[in-house]
Amino acid sequence: MPFAIENVRITDLTWLLAGAGGPRMLASLGAEDIRVEWKDRLDVLRHGNPTIPIGKERERVFNGETVMPEAESVNQGGHFAGINAGKRGISLNLRTPKGKELFKEIVRISDIVVECFTAPTMKRLELDYDVLRKINPSLIYIQQPGFGKKGHYVDYVSTGPVAQAISGLSEQSGLPDPYPPAGWGYSYMDWSGAYYCGMAMLSALYYRARTGQGQYMDCSQAEPAIYMTGTAVLDYMANGRRYQRTGNRSPYVPAAPHGAYRCQGTDRWIAIAVSNDDEWRALAGVLGDPGWTKEDRFKTMASRLARQDDLDGLMNDATQAWDPWELTEKLQAAGVAAGACQTAEERMFRDPQLKHRGFQTMLNNSFVGEWQVKDFPVKLSESPAYVGGTLDRGFPCYGEDNDYVYGTLLGMPKSDQEALAEEEVI
Amino acid sequence: MPQSERSQPKGFLFDVRVLELADERGEFCGKLLAGAGAEVVKVEPPGGNRTRAIGPFYEDIDNPERSLHFWHYNFGKRGITLDITKPEGQRVLKELAPRFDVVLETYAPGYLAGLGLGYEDLKALNPGVIMASITPFGQTGPWRDWKATDLVHLALGGVMMNCGYDPMPDGEYDTPPIAPQMWHASHIVGNYTYMSIVAALLFREQSGIGQHLDASIHHAVNTCTEMDIPYFTYNRKALLRQTGRHAGAAIGTNPQALTKDGRLVWCSGGLGGTPAPVIEMLDKHGMADDLTDPKYKEPEHFRSPAGVRHISAVTKRWVQSRKWDADLWKEGQRYGQHWAPIRKPEENADDPHWLERKTFTQVRHEEIGRTLTYNGAPWLSETTPWRTGPRAPHLGEHTDQVLGQELGIPQARLDELRRQNVI
Repeated sequence: MPFAIENVRITDLTWLLAGAGGPRMLASLGAEDIRVEWKDRLDVLRHGNPTIPIGKERERVFNGETVMPEAESVNQGGHFAGINAGKRGISLNLRTPKGKELFKEIVRISDIVVECFTAPTMKRLELDYDVLRKINPSLIYIQQPGFGKKGHYVDYVSTGPVAQAISGLSEQSGLPDPYPPAGWGYSYMDWSGAYYCGMAMLSALYYRARTGQGQYMDCSQAEPAIYMTGTAVLDYMANGRRYQRTGNRSPYVPAAPHGAYRCQGTDRWIAIAVSNDDEWRALAGVLGDPGWTKEDRFKTMASRLARQDDLDGLMNDATQAWDPWELTEKLQAAGVAAGACQTAEERMFRDPQLKHRGFQTMLNNSFVGEWQVKDFPVKLSESPAYVGGTLDRGFPCYGEDNDYVYGTLLGMPKSDQEALAEEEVI
Repeated sequence: MPQSERSQPKGFLFDVRVLELADERGEFCGKLLAGAGAEVVKVEPPGGNRTRAIGPFYEDIDNPERSLHFWHYNFGKRGITLDITKPEGQRVLKELAPRFDVVLETYAPGYLAGLGLGYEDLKALNPGVIMASITPFGQTGPWRDWKATDLVHLALGGVMMNCGYDPMPDGEYDTPPIAPQMWHASHIVGNYTYMSIVAALLFREQSGIGQHLDASIHHAVNTCTEMDIPYFTYNRKALLRQTGRHAGAAIGTNPQALTKDGRLVWCSGGLGGTPAPVIEMLDKHGMADDLTDPKYKEPEHFRSPAGVRHISAVTKRWVQSRKWDADLWKEGQRYGQHWAPIRKPEENADDPHWLERKTFTQVRHEEIGRTLTYNGAPWLSETTPWRTGPRAPHLGEHTDQVLGQELGIPQARLDELRRQNVI
């Protein structure tokens, strides 16, 4: 079957996840993505952490051992592998005059240039939008520094936690004061930065398809985080109320019990959300109708909400003897929204729903071989997305597609490519 | 079209028409489409969408017209009422649907098909239609009929096992994993569904073919964790959740630093990995302690656990000597550090950086006589603006406009539909 956007070519100057994740989305939808790298300033994710084990160490992992190998190569970045699946990769030194010229040749035959350097970088290289649009008038240029190109913070840097901290997303997550915020235990705004970058590129492609016009877009990592602080801003503006963390209790939909309760095993928990009295009775039934579930103090939603401390204590006592999955299955069968706090291992190897949908797929990389990568989560019936992209391939090794881009696309003889490699241009 | 309207810059999706039959799972996706310029018509049952009952409420009065949740997530849409459980309502929907490019829906798998309003039915009326279905687990599969909420999705999605507080020194957790609530499961699936819808529109531009999009919240949330899956894939190692920072293979130092007045600043190093810039900064303020010792230039020292802990402790002493104000984090940023204030959401609304970028927008609510500050655009484009209005629709506000003036249903039939409580 065809991909949705096979006719789109992206010149990809991004790195890390917030930058490089967006073009990956488009590669999954069929775009040809050419990731441009130079060896002196490689994406830090190429250096491992975690490192992809190869050879004997790979076998040991499949035998269930934990191995933490040192990377022998820049082609062993485990996190990099997931973020850059389905992309092509070339080496190109943008600091050399010849490198700049080659870059412009690639831009001439591209639809999109996307980068996430600090705001002034491409201007300093004399490769900014104003230069590139003269070469390719309908070009879409997406710039995604941490805080955007316009404004007071153009020189400031951001990663996921920075965007989460300033936006309010960190503050909104966690147990109530006096606990500090728990925030996000990963870079939610790296993935979300990637989503918004992908959304920006697709939006601009649609606009161009309908009007013929390309454009420059000033994106950032922090602004989409603010976009998701949702009703908290409005609550302050309308009611003067500041957001107060509620832990795992339901902030705005009346629901109790509503939380993560301890189960059998080490650090095992189940999330249960009871939104009405029928569900409450069903929950009590599954737990074996212990006496406290019959008490008047827990009879109605209002009374349960008023006594959540007591309720949560009793719930924890009741769930501790249960296997989290057995309880999940029983509660779901009884019509109660519940689910184990899944571990990475369970998501990868146990979860039957994810298996059914093809959560992960095996992709090949020419250096590390085949490894699993998370696939695109929406099923498009007529133009299915696939994380291996049109290449049906994992992440690119450094400079792997030089011959395709410089030879096949730009028509440069092999001998010229070798000379440019000698000169440290490619 | 009058000249004045023609010269207005258009949004990205300026000629896309979206029919939304969605609850809290899909309203965010509809909000994104509306924000990007699509014309979104929201279909609610005559009694109102259940999302009108989600708080907080304006002046804390629980009323379908006062849900700030509904205001936020339905910003920029028009709204009609239509009871699609009644045959007459189904007939109206079938008349209406062919006028739209996209139908966005969040009913349980098979529900609309059971009413004769499934993808195949709508495709027969409008071959190019793109129908996007967002469900908790997906259209098919063993968990297809399971129930979930935002909390349950964050549990089953793996987010919770990454988020929370430090374990006790013996390694045992005395606090549960934490769900960063406030509808992020809907945000994640909404972002993916938006991308899929626009990709499907682009595919239709080329091929003329519409399609059905099956979006699973469970699947989407599971793709949205960071290091845990790679660590388990390549090292068969689980990560440990930690207070306010990334879950990791080992417990690390906490970059949340407390100020004199009890607020927090996120103080993380630069990507280069050397502490030289932060030591220079601390020294300038006379707070470098012994960090000017040359040994802190040696990676084996500053990367050692003791070295990392000491640099963090000295940095925190400086932060603790200051009040939480606008400049504290900027000083770190000036030295290339990944510093940020841990703000409450509303504290961004008067930041000159966001004001200059028009990150927030003013929205008129004539019914309460107030103009309120809303979150605005997630990005900036000089040529293609993000939508700045109108406010979310009142219940049935555009029923006559959409069904009468635009679809051409005569007034007598509208009156009859109203009598039968179909609209």
